[in-house]
Amino acid sequence: MTWNQVFELIQNILITQTGVPNLAVNQLIMIGISFFFLYLAVAKEYEPLLLVPIGFGIFLVNFPLTPLMGFTEHGNPELIRAFYKYGVEWEIIPCLIFLGLGAMTDFEPLIANPKTLIIGAGAQLGVFITYIGTLVFGFTLKEAASVAIIGGADGPTTIYLTAKLAPHLLGANALAAYSYMAMVPLIQPPIMRLMTTPEQRKIKMRQLRPVSAREKLFFPLIATFLIIILIPAVAPLIGMFMFGNFMRVSGVVKRLSDTAQHSLMNIVTILLGLSVGATMQAHVFLNWKPLLIFALGLMDFVICTFGGILTVHIMNKFLKEKMNPLIGSSGVSAVPMAARVSQTEGLKADPDNWLIMHAMGPNLAGVIGSAAAAGMFIAMFN
Amino acid sequence: MIRIDIKLFNRRFWIWLVSALLFFSLTPLSASLAAFGDKIEKSKPQFTRMGDKITAKLIPRAKNSSVLINFEVLGGKLFEVQGMDFSEAEHPDVDVKDFKSSLFVTKIVELTPGTEVKVSITSDFFASETAYWIFNHKLQKPWMNSEAENLSRSGLTRDLVIKVKDGGPFDTDGATNGRITLVGGAKDSFWGYALGTLFIRFFGIFLVLSILMIGMIISGKVFQSIAKRKGKADEASASQAKEAEDVMSDETRMEISPNGATITADRPQTIDASLSKESVIAVSIALHMHLSALQAPEPLDLSISQITSWTQQGRERIMGDRFLTFNRSDR
Repeated sequence: MTWNQVFELIQNILITQTGVPNLAVNQLIMIGISFFFLYLAVAKEYEPLLLVPIGFGIFLVNFPLTPLMGFTEHGNPELIRAFYKYGVEWEIIPCLIFLGLGAMTDFEPLIANPKTLIIGAGAQLGVFITYIGTLVFGFTLKEAASVAIIGGADGPTTIYLTAKLAPHLLGANALAAYSYMAMVPLIQPPIMRLMTTPEQRKIKMRQLRPVSAREKLFFPLIATFLIIILIPAVAPLIGMFMFGNFMRVSGVVKRLSDTAQHSLMNIVTILLGLSVGATMQAHVFLNWKPLLIFALGLMDFVICTFGGILTVHIMNKFLKEKMNPLIGSSGVSAVPMAARVSQTEGLKADPDNWLIMHAMGPNLAGVIGSAAAAGMFIAMFN
Repeated sequence: MIRIDIKLFNRRFWIWLVSALLFFSLTPLSASLAAFGDKIEKSKPQFTRMGDKITAKLIPRAKNSSVLINFEVLGGKLFEVQGMDFSEAEHPDVDVKDFKSSLFVTKIVELTPGTEVKVSITSDFFASETAYWIFNHKLQKPWMNSEAENLSRSGLTRDLVIKVKDGGPFDTDGATNGRITLVGGAKDSFWGYALGTLFIRFFGIFLVLSILMIGMIISGKVFQSIAKRKGKADEASASQAKEAEDVMSDETRMEISPNGATITADRPQTIDASLSKESVIAVSIALHMHLSALQAPEPLDLSISQITSWTQQGRERIMGDRFLTFNRSDR
């Protein structure tokens, strides 16, 4: 073997088998972005359970020549592509997350005060206004629907809808949804204070009635029946959500409920996070649309908060027992952060005003409302 | 009353936003619009012929499921229907967004030159407002409304009937030669559709959640009345049990003798003088604990105005514990 052949061989190895000469500037930018999200997750603890796998997913797939998001010669998906294909593309993971969420949710505050369901509906205002705004910016109808749902502030719902309507926006949408969920305590309080007077913030609400175990048991059945009969398109999400809750309240399948709440939830969270992160490859992600999505998502979230509070103001015109408008902001389905913010703001106005359980009602209604909005969008395109 | 809170300008928030903006502004503009947009939504129709009818199957813009569009001709022979990309007919007068599907090139043959035929285009995808616009590149204003009749057929199917004359303005070949080439597509107002459907769907959510609310209120009343009835039944059975117990105690003349003391039901209670103070206290405490356990706890009054830091902390801990049930991030 001559020296020329040796050099040629080394050159070939360098070009075809190592990433160094193939590393592009935009990939380095994406690696920088992954570090940024990992920083937010680790140092700031912003939604770490999602942002850590998402951030690491972005980090992994932006190295050149990595066999992660492509297909093998035989057409089989590579590692993370397989997670994505069978988990997200087949719409399995978001539904399993809803199963876990259902198993983790106590619907008592909502059952005790069903009126708060209307707040959950009112808080979807931003979803529909942002939809229009997104269309103005030149997004297609399907893209607009997937971006608009971000304001509902439900990660799995956003991922489910985006995977169905605009899979190429999955990374940006999921990231925006989870980032804003983490930023609820920063975004909501100024709007809450802007839309309420100090007197309104001091309104005390009557303690919620106790809910019997039998009532809790029947709730998932009644809710599933009514919602799915009206919006069949939302059956995968609501069906899993209520099934998870039924397992919890039935009390006879503690092992299954426990698995749904913990082990299964953790497994699907890892797979979801990695898959979503892995969709953010430089050539797909680096353009102006993600930036617009972040801006529109923020606007969406603000309008949803506004819509929830406005709905309480309107309801108070007709109700004998007034509701504290601060619980309106919980209509976005960031559970339980939005309810926690209502509680904190309520305590600031009156240190003896405990709004948390009242705010959980609209918060849970927001989950149902955003799932219903997603169902409406899906139905619109079918 | 209205003031923008200074915390809107929270340092963390702005650091986050500015960093995001910086990252994206570093992005080369040339990379933009790479993977997004219309390419994904370009419908590619597939055509099948059944006798004189040609059916196009396609997934229209802004839909996930395929639709069928049928083409028939009255007064001539339908030779062929082909799909045509909108880019070939792009013009400032029309917006591609208004066309939900690709354009169609319809070829009609075996006509007496100069005659008029009716082209019937049916689909359940059309709405009452759907129009059929024609493109003729030979004209100064190439796009025009065909003024098609929009007829309702069985079910949700609608029929667009267009009158086309051989050699007329709708005939793209422009010649009176016994053949017609019609280029066009079904057109709806994009914004009209988007806003209309949005309005309906937003109120649809209110409707769905209102129905759920009514369902929950009704079921709540039912369950509460069941619980009340059950409570009354429990109360009745408890009083029956008490009566039975009284009868039993009357019959048996039950005697309790702690440390030699004798208490009977029909005699005045007397306490032995030799009974120690400690025994009396112990019995009193035991009785108190037993009876207080049977009583329902007093409802907690949360409206105490003089709140102490001790009670405040206690309440915070109670409420904090409840979060564990709802906390997604602590899973």
